[in-house]
Amino acid sequence: MRQEDFPRNGNLDGSHGLVMIPPVMSWYYSKNGTQLGPVAEAELLVKIKSGEVATSDLVWQEGMGDWKPASQVPAFQGSAPLSIPPVPQGNLPMAQPPAMAYGQYPQIPNYLWQSIVVTILCCMPFGVVGIVYAAKVDGLVAGGDLAGAQAASQSAKTWTLTAFICGLVSTGLVVVLMVIGAAQQA
Amino acid sequence: MYKNRALWVALAVLVLAFGAHMLRETGGAGWMPGCAFKKVTGLDCPGCGMTRATYAALHGNLGAAFHFNPVGMVLLPLALLALSLEVAGWVRGKPLPFRLRTGRWGSAVLLAIITGWWILRNVYWKL
Repeated sequence: MRQEDFPRNGNLDGSHGLVMIPPVMSWYYSKNGTQLGPVAEAELLVKIKSGEVATSDLVWQEGMGDWKPASQVPAFQGSAPLSIPPVPQGNLPMAQPPAMAYGQYPQIPNYLWQSIVVTILCCMPFGVVGIVYAAKVDGLVAGGDLAGAQAASQSAKTWTLTAFICGLVSTGLVVVLMVIGAAQQA
Repeated sequence: MYKNRALWVALAVLVLAFGAHMLRETGGAGWMPGCAFKKVTGLDCPGCGMTRATYAALHGNLGAAFHFNPVGMVLLPLALLALSLEVAGWVRGKPLPFRLRTGRWGSAVLLAIITGWWILRNVYWKL
């Protein structure tokens, strides 16, 4: 009678003949011949993107005949490790580090607002080039081309910074000339 | 929360506020470089007229401000608001949950508006 009080599938060691089924879509992977996992698909994707798991490392999930390199599994194809840009050294507001991920995709900054401000305020055609690249970033991320998105983001940042520095330097020059002129008159 | 980032932002806000004050007093004469693109090509760039527009806006004359650069007068406050949200997240070390994000189509539309405005103003809206 007592046995009936316990939920059958609550017996985790499977001694009632129940088979423990791993969570749906979980993956096993191997490094140096050691079997690791199970992990969720999204987690393995992150490991591959960060380079922790190489695309040549073997992965397996329920239903697959044998272990396969991650690069040959459709779910992980095109998931080469990201080339993560170095953290910007400057403390300018536009040199923001890549923001934290909200969803599955790492957030790639598009610098759109920065390039618009620079175009409007510094009057530099470079700013427009920045906007062109900035406008491409989100579309590339949505299309899954993370490397292309990173490159566009980097270009947007470079052009925006160039325009910003040009504007800053030319304003600085004019101010210096004005101060020199005022000093000569005095 | 990063203290050094907050200090940099405070410094940038001070510089901007000082610049706005100087612009309001002088109209930018003598210390603002003017548009390099216009000097070289003789054409208006998308941002041309923003010095005069901001000067007019700071004196409460919105009609004149929109006459000098209507697109800039809409985009600049919008972009400054969006950037403030980004910078607040940057100082905090974690993006704010509410941000002005344009997405892929919004970005394309903004780019089209700015290039369209650039062409249009050189044809119909010469300052």
